[in-house]
Amino acid sequence: MAKSEDERRGDVEAGRREANATSGVGRREMMKLAAGAVIAPALPQTGQKNSRRPAKAQNKAHRFFTPDEFAMVDELSELIIPTDEHSPGARAAKVAEYIDRRLAESFGDEPKLQWREGLKLVDQISAEMNGRPFMQASQDQRVAVLSRMARKESNPEKPEEKFFVELKSRVARAYYTSKTGIHDELEYKGNTYLREFAGVDVSKG
Amino acid sequence: MQAAAPNIPNDRTVDLKKVYDAIVVGSGAAGGMAAYVLASAGMKTLLLEAGRRIDTTEELKSTEWPYEHPRRGEMPPDRHALTLNEYTFRKPPYAERLKANHAHSYVQGWGGSDYSKNIVVDEKDHPYTGTNYAWVRARCLGGKTNIWGRLALRLSDYDFKAASRDGYGEDWPIEYKDVEKYYDKVDLLLGISGVKENLPYLPDSIFQRPIRLNDPEVHLRNTLSKMGRTLTPYRAGVTTDGVKNKYRMRCYGRGACNRRAGGCDIHAAFDSPTGLIFPAFETGNLTIRTNATVSEVLVDTNTGKARGVAFVDTVTAKSYEAKAKVVVLAASTLESARLMLLSKSRLYPNGIGNSSGHVGHNFCEHVMGPNVTALVKDKDGAKRTLDDGRPGGFYIPRFRNLSERNPKFIRGYGFEGGSGVTMLPDSVFDTPGFGKDYKKGVRDYAGAMISLGGFGEVLPRYENYVDLDPDVKDRWGISVLRFHYKFGDNEKKMCEDMADAAQEMMEAAGFTEISLRRSLLTEGWSIHELGVARMGTDPKKSVLNQFQQSHDVKNLFVVDGSSHVNAACQNPTWTIMALAWRSCDYLADEFKKGNL
Repeated sequence: MAKSEDERRGDVEAGRREANATSGVGRREMMKLAAGAVIAPALPQTGQKNSRRPAKAQNKAHRFFTPDEFAMVDELSELIIPTDEHSPGARAAKVAEYIDRRLAESFGDEPKLQWREGLKLVDQISAEMNGRPFMQASQDQRVAVLSRMARKESNPEKPEEKFFVELKSRVARAYYTSKTGIHDELEYKGNTYLREFAGVDVSKG
Repeated sequence: MQAAAPNIPNDRTVDLKKVYDAIVVGSGAAGGMAAYVLASAGMKTLLLEAGRRIDTTEELKSTEWPYEHPRRGEMPPDRHALTLNEYTFRKPPYAERLKANHAHSYVQGWGGSDYSKNIVVDEKDHPYTGTNYAWVRARCLGGKTNIWGRLALRLSDYDFKAASRDGYGEDWPIEYKDVEKYYDKVDLLLGISGVKENLPYLPDSIFQRPIRLNDPEVHLRNTLSKMGRTLTPYRAGVTTDGVKNKYRMRCYGRGACNRRAGGCDIHAAFDSPTGLIFPAFETGNLTIRTNATVSEVLVDTNTGKARGVAFVDTVTAKSYEAKAKVVVLAASTLESARLMLLSKSRLYPNGIGNSSGHVGHNFCEHVMGPNVTALVKDKDGAKRTLDDGRPGGFYIPRFRNLSERNPKFIRGYGFEGGSGVTMLPDSVFDTPGFGKDYKKGVRDYAGAMISLGGFGEVLPRYENYVDLDPDVKDRWGISVLRFHYKFGDNEKKMCEDMADAAQEMMEAAGFTEISLRRSLLTEGWSIHELGVARMGTDPKKSVLNQFQQSHDVKNLFVVDGSSHVNAACQNPTWTIMALAWRSCDYLADEFKKGNL
């Protein structure tokens, strides 16, 4: 049920028209929006066609992350929401792809910088703890890195703790708004036509 | 399917040479009702709306899955929704120095916001100043009714005669029996869902098919009943059995009623365009001009009466005048007060209708904040059920200061709440950690929470007011409102009790408290601003009479929430419409008699 390419292009163009109509849009912002419109048609569709593409060709489709960064985000997302006996995890739900797309169009450079720096921190911590970069560490070592970052989730202080909160919230939102998250994992039953509301009618005693 | 909207002629074709019988400023609950009643009574009526016309049938997409939307329902990246922190730590105008190209109020802040971004105003164009206040405005045909929360409650004599009961403030110049018939008319015309409870302090409506409760909610209802309190299914301003209106369908239990800044694209939930304005248009007596921001009520210096309004076309920025024999303000509580204050003339140096000096004063609303979420143990990890698709959960009417007198505060509060599974459950964001445990936690808790949030009456106080900022102007060069408004001691004490009571009820039901919020949310959070041009019998202490007619200018009416004498603790939309209907019946009658 993903949007067709034409619909998606329509969205970008509508955004552009809106931006054009607004007096407050600066030249730089206009150019960014315009750039977004050019790139949009090259975006791979989630699902069917592209899944069989070789890894190299897929890498070209990343809009913000480098191939190495993308692989790391993909791995981190799967560590946060893994495939388990109940349902597929973040990797299957293409969470990294969605985050990449959103970061590429983010307003201003702050979120981009936070992610770029944050991923470097993950490697640094892994080097410190495991003596090797994150992607070269073992599964247990990777979990150890993430555990250290997650220590102060409710009150993050250090940059890596703050990055964990950002990372998890983006991963969680992307996963639980995906087809996999809504239908397979949470087995959501709503958004369906009902002749009668579900539950108990208390007007009948 | 519902019928398509009628073909309303282009704004530029509106005849501005003509003298209309009435001009209605604003098209929300109050303006829509005024247009409906006056046009139905045969009066040639011109409706002016500051915003544009938005086809909400197309715009709201309430059945769209998040993954069908390029940003999963979120706004484009150059738009920013103000956060609670920004309202707390910064001062208005909140959009000032903000990097984003567009700024919106907090109602755009959670998921689903992309669908209503064109309905709520861009704060950059519509600043205000003064004390902290989360002022949510919708400038478009239908105003906030396009996204309202739908809770449709009646007031009673506990509210209309509150001053006689506890000695604070003023009574309304009406009592329940004056407005009962009009509540009935609103129920029948627009449709309302609910269950009869026979409570003297929350009169029943003429209800259609009720919303059903899930097991934890039924359990809480039974628990509260033993405590002498009531939990009733959400009284939703939604037609569940259908109404005689080709633009609206009956609720079919689908759609994103839970989406923050909701809206109903089949118009089962009341909205002013389909419920009132389109039917009014079909009488042939209604002319509509959108993109018309009224800046002043014009005065005939010979008679002292209103002769029309001045407005700015927000597309061309050109100024125009429109003429009428009667002017009806329904621009929303604070905007109507702003308009009266802007309408200064030699005859009315303090603003039109403001000889009392009370315009802008006695500002009141509902205080929010105290909130408890609890775990329902036997739902933890339970098999998934269908609990969604309802226009609302439940309502717990006030139980304080009815027969007893609370020693700490006067007036009352009610709770809104609900339990059950939603599409994007809170457990996604509340469950700590990561990995399998996190994933299982989200899954197990997704349908296992029940929550209560309070809405309390904020007392009307003369010293809580708005006036015009002498320096700051909006995008169209119109002076903006400056707030002088703070919660008082009564609200703070009431909120302490609210949090205690919510905890007490959860405990009594055997639910395990997960989170408790005791603190007050920013002023304005309830989006129920009221008062500022109150009704009354004494022209020295009030702005309007019992028919929302200016004491000073007999052909000027103000039919929105600004006329309310106190806020009560019930959501105001149904009362706004019942009162507007009553006043416009009177207006049409007086007009025919030549008394205006």
